[in-house]
Amino acid sequence: MTSPLEAKSLSLVREGNAVLDGVSFTVARGEIFALLGGNGAGKSSTLLTFLGFLKPSGGEVLVNGQSVTGDVAAARGAIAYLPEAASLYGHMTAYENLDYFLDLAGKPAGRADLDAALDRVALPAEARTRRLRSYSKGMRQKTAIALALLRETPILLLDEPTSGLDPVAIDEFHDLVKALAGGGQTVLMVTHDVYGACQVADRVGLLRGGKLVGSFSAANGERIDTETVHAAFAERQAA
Amino acid sequence: MFASLAREARFLAKDRGALFWLILAFFLSCAAVSFGIAEVREQRETIAALIEEDAADRANALETQEDWGGAAYYAFHLTYAPPSDFAFAAMGQRDSSPWKHRVRMLALEGQIHEADTRNADFGLVGRFDFAFLAASVAPLLLILLLYDLRASERTARRHDLLVATAGSPFSMWLPRALVRVTALALLLLIPLWIGAAVEGTSMVISVTASGIMIGALLLWWLIVELVSRIDASASVLLTSLIGLWLALAIVMPAVSKAGIEAANPVPDGGEILLLQRETVNDAWDLPKAATMKPFVAEHPELADHAEIEEGFEWKWYYAFQQVGDQTAAPLVSEYRAARIARDRQAGLAALLSPTSLVERAFERLADTDALSMIGYEDRVRRYHAKLRAFYYPLMFLEQPYDADVLKKLPDYDANG
Ligand SMILES: Nc1ncnc2c1ncn2[C@@H]1O[C@H](COP(=O)(O)OP(=O)(O)OP(=O)(O)O)[C@@H](O)[C@H]1O
Ligand SMILES: [Mg+2]
Repeated sequence: MTSPLEAKSLSLVREGNAVLDGVSFTVARGEIFALLGGNGAGKSSTLLTFLGFLKPSGGEVLVNGQSVTGDVAAARGAIAYLPEAASLYGHMTAYENLDYFLDLAGKPAGRADLDAALDRVALPAEARTRRLRSYSKGMRQKTAIALALLRETPILLLDEPTSGLDPVAIDEFHDLVKALAGGGQTVLMVTHDVYGACQVADRVGLLRGGKLVGSFSAANGERIDTETVHAAFAERQAA
Repeated sequence: MFASLAREARFLAKDRGALFWLILAFFLSCAAVSFGIAEVREQRETIAALIEEDAADRANALETQEDWGGAAYYAFHLTYAPPSDFAFAAMGQRDSSPWKHRVRMLALEGQIHEADTRNADFGLVGRFDFAFLAASVAPLLLILLLYDLRASERTARRHDLLVATAGSPFSMWLPRALVRVTALALLLLIPLWIGAAVEGTSMVISVTASGIMIGALLLWWLIVELVSRIDASASVLLTSLIGLWLALAIVMPAVSKAGIEAANPVPDGGEILLLQRETVNDAWDLPKAATMKPFVAEHPELADHAEIEEGFEWKWYYAFQQVGDQTAAPLVSEYRAARIARDRQAGLAALLSPTSLVERAFERLADTDALSMIGYEDRVRRYHAKLRAFYYPLMFLEQPYDADVLKKLPDYDANG
C-alpha cells in the first residue's frame, strides 16, 4: 500500500542556501509523525514542499503515491494545512472565516458542523460571532485548527500547532489529533516542542543541518521517551 | 466558477478598503454623468434660445431694408452644432471649438474664426466628463483595487493557506480579481446607462461605449497582473503601477500632443481673420476690376453682370467679401488639413496610450471629436454658400427689391 506522505531523498535550496539535504521518510495512514528541529532547521520548508509551494532541488515528495510536482492540485486537495502562526481574516468572525475558507476548498459546511468543530477545539460560543481581530492568539489558533478539522481531508500538515495554546488546550489538542489519527487521518506535524511531540506522535524524526539525524518510535503502546529525545535534540543542537 | 464568484462577492462586501474605492467610483461616475447632462442641456437651451431670437432679429432687421444688399448686410443667420445624445459622456472638442455662429453674407472665414469659443481652461487633464473618468480615473481605481491582492495576503501570512486551500492559485486570485473588476465596471457604467436612458442614446452607442470601457479595464487588469507578478512589497508594486499609470495616462498623451503640434504647425484662426480683413479693407482702394476679375473667375455665370458703374454698388461690395474668402482659402485649407493631420497622428499616437484611445473612441461616438467639429464648420460654409447662391442672382441681375422673396431665404440645417 502506498503511504499518504513520502519524502524521497528530498533536497531543497532556498535563495542559494541548502535547506534540506537528502531527507527521506514516510508517514503511514493513521500515523502521527512529528518532525522535530530547531529554528531554521527546515521544518516549515518541508511542509511547503508537500504543498507544492517549494520545488525540490533533488529527490521528490509524494502525496498518496503521486509526485506533488506532477499534480499540485491533487496533493493540496488531499491535505488540510495549518500554517505556522496561521492568520485568518481579522475583520471576519469565526463563522465567516470558516465559511469563506470552506467555500474556497469547495466543501461548504452548515452552521451545525461549524459549531461541532468549534466545540471540539473549545472555542467559546460567545466568541464565534466576534471578529478575529478581538481574539487572543490561542483563540485564533483554535479557529484555524477547527478549519483543518472541517476540511476532513485524509492528510493533516500541522506547523507548530500548539503555539499560543495554554496547557489545557494543548492537552485537548493532543487528544484531538490522536482521535483524528484513530479515525484514519494521517498527520505530519512539525514542531520544536520536544515534550509535545513525544506526547502525541507515534514517531518522531529529528531534523538538523538539513538531514534527518534521528528517529524515535513508541514501542508497544508506550509513549516515546521525552528524556531520550530531548537528550538527542540538545546534543545535536550543541554539536 | 459561479460559486467562487459568489464567494468572492461576499468577501468583497466585507472589505471596507475595497468598498471605499468602489463607492467612490460610483459617486464619481454619477457626478461625471450629471455634469455632462447639465452641460448638454445648457447648450441645447442656449441653442433653443438663439433659434428663437434668430428669426425675430432677422425679421426685425429686414423690416427697414430697401435693397438686397442692405438685407444681406443686416440679416444674421444662426448656425449651430447641437450636442449629440451621447455628448454628455464626452464633451471632447466642444470645449475648445465653437459650436454656434451668427453668420451673414460678408466674408465668411473671418466670421468662423472669430466666433466666441467658450474656451474653458481645463488645464492638463481636461474636463471631468465620463470619458475622462473611464479613460484616466477608472484605471487608477482599478490599480488601487488590485495592486495588493496577493501582496497583502503575503504580508498577513495568509497567502499559502489560501492557495493551499483553494488548490490552485487560479481558482483563488482570478475570481477575487474578476469580482472587483466587474464591480468597478458596473458601478461606473450604471450611471452612464441611466444617463444614456435619460438622453435617449442609441443602444448601439451605449453598448459600444460600455465595451470600450470594459476593454480598457481588462487591459489595465492585465498590466496590474503582470506587474504584480514581480516579487516585491505592496508599496513597491503600488509605486510602479502609479508610475506606469502616470506614464500611459498623463505623460505619454501630453508628450505626443506636444510633438504632434510641433510637427504640424497650424496657422491660427487669427491669421486667417487678419488676412481676410486686410484683403477686404484693401479692396476699397483698389480698382474695381481687381476685385471683379477674381470674382468672375469663380462665378462665370455672372460675367455679363459684373460691370460696376457707380462709386458704390452692393454687388461689388459682396464680390470683394467673397474675394476675401478666396484669398484666405489657401490658408484656410492649410489650417483645415493641419488639424486633420494632427488628428490622424493623434489617433496613431493614441495606440501607445490606452487612456487616449478610450477618450478618442468616446469622442468619436459622441460626435465631439476634431473631425466632427471640422464637419460643423464645413456645414457653416455650405450654408453660407447657399446664402450667396440665393442673393447673387437677385443682386447681379438687378431684380427689384421684394421683401416677400426674402421669406425664401435658405434655412440652416443642423444635420445637413
Ligand atoms: N521565504 C524564504 N526565503 C528564503 N529562505 C527562507 C525563507 N523562509 C525560510 N528560509 C530559510 O530556509 C531555512 C529553513 O527555514 P524554515 O522556515 O523551514 O525553518 P523551520 O524549521 O520551520 O524554523 P522555525 O522553527 O523557526 O519555524 C532557513 O535557513 C531560512 O533562513
Ligand atoms: Mg517553521
